[in-house]
Amino acid sequence: MKPLFRSFSMFILQIARDRMLYAVCISPVLAGLFFRFGIPYIETLLCSTFQETSILKEYYLLFDLFLCTLTPFLFCFSASMVVLTEHDENMTRYLAVTPVGKKGYLISRFLFPAAISFIVSMLLLQVFSLTVWHASMMLIVCLLGSLLCVATSLLVVGLSRNRVEGMAVTKLSGMVLMGLIVPFFVISKVQYLFFFLPSFWLAKLSRDGNYFLLVPSAAASLIWIFLLYRRSEKKLA
Amino acid sequence: MRAKSLFLGDIRFQIRYGFYFLYLFLSVLYITVLYLLPITWREPGAILMIFSDPAAMGLYFMGAIVLFEKSERVLNSIAVSPVRPLEYVISKLGSVGLISTAAAVAIGMSGQVISNPFQFAAAVFLCSCLFSAAGLIIACKITTLNQFIIATIPAELLINLPAVAWLFGYRKSWLLLHPGVCMMKLCSSGSFSAPALLLLICWTTAFTCYAVSTVSKMLKSVGGINL
Repeated sequence: MKPLFRSFSMFILQIARDRMLYAVCISPVLAGLFFRFGIPYIETLLCSTFQETSILKEYYLLFDLFLCTLTPFLFCFSASMVVLTEHDENMTRYLAVTPVGKKGYLISRFLFPAAISFIVSMLLLQVFSLTVWHASMMLIVCLLGSLLCVATSLLVVGLSRNRVEGMAVTKLSGMVLMGLIVPFFVISKVQYLFFFLPSFWLAKLSRDGNYFLLVPSAAASLIWIFLLYRRSEKKLA
Repeated sequence: MRAKSLFLGDIRFQIRYGFYFLYLFLSVLYITVLYLLPITWREPGAILMIFSDPAAMGLYFMGAIVLFEKSERVLNSIAVSPVRPLEYVISKLGSVGLISTAAAVAIGMSGQVISNPFQFAAAVFLCSCLFSAAGLIIACKITTLNQFIIATIPAELLINLPAVAWLFGYRKSWLLLHPGVCMMKLCSSGSFSAPALLLLICWTTAFTCYAVSTVSKMLKSVGGINL
């Protein structure tokens, strides 16, 4: 376990040197403040302008979901950028033959940040949420949000040969989070076309409050992680 | 001849690493979103999409391109070749500008927001060159992708915020001096087109000159020593 923590501390030092760590720490708080105080204010303005009783209120849960996936997304995004850089500079080959190993390397780069993000997401949601959350649902959604972002980062690392392709895949990987909006805007059965997106099930689970949806939600994330982990591991060889 | 070879090489590089595929996919996606918008929102929607993505792609990708070239020792080869920094910069700006313009024209035509195709294409191409030059200036001074992403945030805010504020109705006359606003004026084909084009050319030239000077300094110091 000690080599993994060492590898993780190397990663933290690297993103602190690049100032990415500060961005990862500050941005979710700023977003939380905006969602908590800015969105209700905008809602009041919109309602008075358009003479409606509510416009954004029914999407407050969507803002909460974005808030809960923001920290893991940023943390895992910076991790994938570090992995791409280390891969291009052949650092990963050297790390793979140290006691860290390939598996340990990927765990220290993706799972550790996701675990920290999970705790931070819980705190952020507790402080800045716009809707009322049951403790168990909050725990599940934050956990699934972190898993979703691990899958997204593995997608970037697994599908790209170098950092240029990595940036191109990163642009596309944002689409994985777009599944969050589907259950809010596509009410018909057409929404099930997005069944392969873990974010779709995550949004559906929190919107419907049906704990049974935890199964497809976790399964979708784990399948993505399993497939992309194998691909990323091969790449590090 | 050298500039042509560099330009073709950059295009091959961009095809190989999926830039064309990516923007084909994104253009289809943006066009779909555009058709979902109410008709009155289509023109500002299309301009916002074009300005924030195809036109700005250079600022997003330049860091990865330059860092990749550094790690593959491409810049070392360029430094000892007869290629001049201006040719290198023009090739990068032109090749990225080509994809930006093609994607923007496709989005603009599908959204039926183009009234003067030449003016529209010129605006997007110049704006793309400006964004790419800004990206190149930053990319020459950084060593990691995360540094690049953080360093581009102020540039993105300075270029994007005034233009987006303009698009959403904050129409102060001094904002017409801003390159992003000039691009929007040219794309929406209103009044002020000729001065906007002239201003955009001036901004792009200034950024290109600064990028040439930065690239020149970088090429003199690749490999750890100052030539």
